[in-house]
Amino acid sequence: MFSKIAISNVKRSFRDYSIYFLTLTLGVCIFYSFNSIESQNLLSKMNKDADFILTINLLMAGTSIFVSFVLGGLIIYANNFLIKKRKKELGIYMTLGMSKRKISKILIVETLLIGVLSLVVGIVLGIIVSQGLSILVANILSVDLNKYKFIISLSAIMKSVVYFGIIYLLVMIFNQFTISKYKLIDMLNASKKNEVVKLKNSFVSILIFILSMVLLGTAYARILKTGLDAENAELIVTVMIGVIGTLLFFFSLSSFFIHIVQKSKKIYLKDINIFVLRQINNKINTNFLSMTVICLMLFLTITLLFTAFDLKGTIDRNSAGNKAFDAAAFLVVDNENEDPKANDIEEYLNDIDFTFEAYEKHSFYNEYKLNLTIEHLLSNYLSKQEKIDLEQNYLDGPISAIKISDYNSIIKLNGHDPIPLKENEVLVVSNYGQVNHALPEYMKNENIIHIEDKAYTIRNESPIEENIKITGSKFFYLIIPDNFNGELQLEFSSFNVIYDESYAEKSEEKFSNLFNNLSEDKYRDISPALVLGSTINQKEDRDNGLAAIVVFLGLFLGLTFIISSAAVMALQQLSDASDSLERYKSLKKIGVTEKLINKAILRQSLIYFLVPLGLAVIHSIVGISAVSENFTFHYESIIVSSLFLVIIYGGYFYATYVGVKNIVKNSN
Amino acid sequence: MKNIVSVEKIEKYYGNKGNITKAIDNISFKVDEGEFLGIMGPSGSGKTTLLNCISTIDNVTTGKIIINNKDITALKAKAIEEFRRDELGFIFQDFNLLDTLTAYENIALALTIQNREIPEIDEMIKNVARKLDITELLSKFPFQLSGGQQQRVACARALVTEPSLILADEPTGALDSKSSRLLLESLEKLNKEFHSTILMVTHDSFTASYAHRILFIKDGRIFNELIRGNDTRKEFFNKIIEVVTLLGGDVGNVL
Repeated sequence: MFSKIAISNVKRSFRDYSIYFLTLTLGVCIFYSFNSIESQNLLSKMNKDADFILTINLLMAGTSIFVSFVLGGLIIYANNFLIKKRKKELGIYMTLGMSKRKISKILIVETLLIGVLSLVVGIVLGIIVSQGLSILVANILSVDLNKYKFIISLSAIMKSVVYFGIIYLLVMIFNQFTISKYKLIDMLNASKKNEVVKLKNSFVSILIFILSMVLLGTAYARILKTGLDAENAELIVTVMIGVIGTLLFFFSLSSFFIHIVQKSKKIYLKDINIFVLRQINNKINTNFLSMTVICLMLFLTITLLFTAFDLKGTIDRNSAGNKAFDAAAFLVVDNENEDPKANDIEEYLNDIDFTFEAYEKHSFYNEYKLNLTIEHLLSNYLSKQEKIDLEQNYLDGPISAIKISDYNSIIKLNGHDPIPLKENEVLVVSNYGQVNHALPEYMKNENIIHIEDKAYTIRNESPIEENIKITGSKFFYLIIPDNFNGELQLEFSSFNVIYDESYAEKSEEKFSNLFNNLSEDKYRDISPALVLGSTINQKEDRDNGLAAIVVFLGLFLGLTFIISSAAVMALQQLSDASDSLERYKSLKKIGVTEKLINKAILRQSLIYFLVPLGLAVIHSIVGISAVSENFTFHYESIIVSSLFLVIIYGGYFYATYVGVKNIVKNSN
Repeated sequence: MKNIVSVEKIEKYYGNKGNITKAIDNISFKVDEGEFLGIMGPSGSGKTTLLNCISTIDNVTTGKIIINNKDITALKAKAIEEFRRDELGFIFQDFNLLDTLTAYENIALALTIQNREIPEIDEMIKNVARKLDITELLSKFPFQLSGGQQQRVACARALVTEPSLILADEPTGALDSKSSRLLLESLEKLNKEFHSTILMVTHDSFTASYAHRILFIKDGRIFNELIRGNDTRKEFFNKIIEVVTLLGGDVGNVL
């Protein structure tokens, strides 16, 4: 009997339920997609380090829980809307003699029905979406998708069912609580109740508005001054000021706004702007809390998306450079060990029976330390800030040097001709000039380097920017003559390899095996020497791994936030449309044309959607400028992240506009 | 005297084949400029349907309605909207004031949707407020006003555009007797001093007694017509009661 009522209820009030249902389904869909990507093993494919995978899993689990809290809040919010709208119907049941307990039962069955339905639809949708999403994510993370296959993740399904089951249970408990609180008379009169318009003193509203502006300004100034330093306790204060400023802004905005517009009779007395203004005033005023939350969520979304895409850009650029060699390794020379075998990587490889194939072009070289520091060398050209910069990049120690014959053999791998070097000449290989103007300045002015009182002419006019290793993003080397007779301390004994294209896969496997064995210390009993190496792929994976996780989580959180906030906005608009149906009817009766009404709806929705977005964008611009000191700044990231935002948020806006229009249109 | 409204043999059917309800069954009448016409009838007699048809909210099945020389049954949807906006003023039983707007804004809305000149708007609102004695209520919201005050604001809204016809649907239906009297006196004054043409639907004999002429409707047809002539309101009221008794057979049905 009760399930029959429940089923027919769901069928009948389908329009009301459709909003709720959509929210639930979207929630399940996102949740499933996210968790199923985990099982696609995209991320673990990038890095096989056990520690790293554990970190990922912990991060993912944490994010899952956080997101389920956000979605849970959203669902309870949507459910609350639904119950509010149905107060009268529930009141009628009670006048017919149905007990509150029985009404609760009906609600439970309804929640269950909608819950199961949305879970099924959401998961099916999620299975479809996750396929597309994993391609997108793989693309973003530059993972090879050769081994991509269509996956239905059982564990993700289980997780979704459990998480959402708990959320639905909470919704049921929440409903019970709400029902027991309501009085019959209030339920029956719920639809008749006029909205209490909060009349506010104009003077006070202007004062609060100015105060909010001052607070926001202070927060902006503080964040721009101190930057985004998580360890700084000041940051929390700044964030608090910002949040309170935002809250007061929305609290006072509409009253302030209406006072301003009333001054301009041209806008105020045009079309039904009076109505639009009052309508918005009412809504922003009563919803200022949710407006604040939405604004802050949008702010987070924009910053997250931006950071994510920015990181992606950085990843792409990093892997674009430093591709001179396919693999490289070095032996850390132990100068206390007299055995030459222990200090030569070629000997070491012989000992562990590792041989290069004929098609694996390679070169061995030694790296020395000179009795000269870069700081000393460039002391006349470095500013104080640049000296600190040097220290931060670990370039302040003795300068590295490589003998010309070694250098020529390295560049030969890449097909360059050997460079002849006279006894009193040196070459400068460095990208340091990009970072700092001191080096080019030096090379322009001095042309001579003194090493232990002996003068060497710099052969090249500007530094050669080709890296000698595949690690290290900032580098500085001097190439010295073979018969250099100053003090030299052997630092590393190394080799570089370039694969033959036709055997690239085989070589890659061979070298990555070697390097994995090395890092696991498998040859310790053969030789005690410390050898480190990596292939270019391994290095990229290591570099990109954590960044990729940040990108992925940033995208996911950003998507959840934006969908949640847009859904709340849509829900508020649609439920408000039903609440103001009487007003629209009155408008029609006094002769307002349908065109004008649609215009009013458009303006209302537009302003309502744009106000929190506007402030969020301003917040983000300030926030990103603060962050940009930690990150490099790329315009592509702005374009891509705003595109994401515009598509999703705009889609919700349009759906809302059409929905409200239909509600008003179908009212008579 | 000039005819403002001319209703010619209109019929309105509801339902479909085999199950037809005639809400209006061949009604014809005329309203002169400056006349105060009342329409009375028991529930279900078709008086609201008649008003809806005249006010272009509903359309007739057959017949013609000519208002201010325009056949509104032949107008297109867009033209109807404009006609309603420019030629008609409405007073409703439940006022239909927008609760979010002040009285001033409620009245202004009727003008702004006609795209009136901005300086003109303020002037017109102040004029109509003086006529209806609501000047000091203009800055208040509907929920701060009594029912009678709200209805007078609604009257002002209907009047401010200077429509050729004011349609009032049970204007006193939601008012207490004192407010009713005040409102009806205002309407009478408007009619007398400013020659507004008023068409009022009511089932309350007291309210109807303020009209010049009353049409009685029963089962979709005109049943009787009463003209006040030189009668006092008291005498006219007694005549109305007689007809009502005859009409319903039971006063309770009508009152």
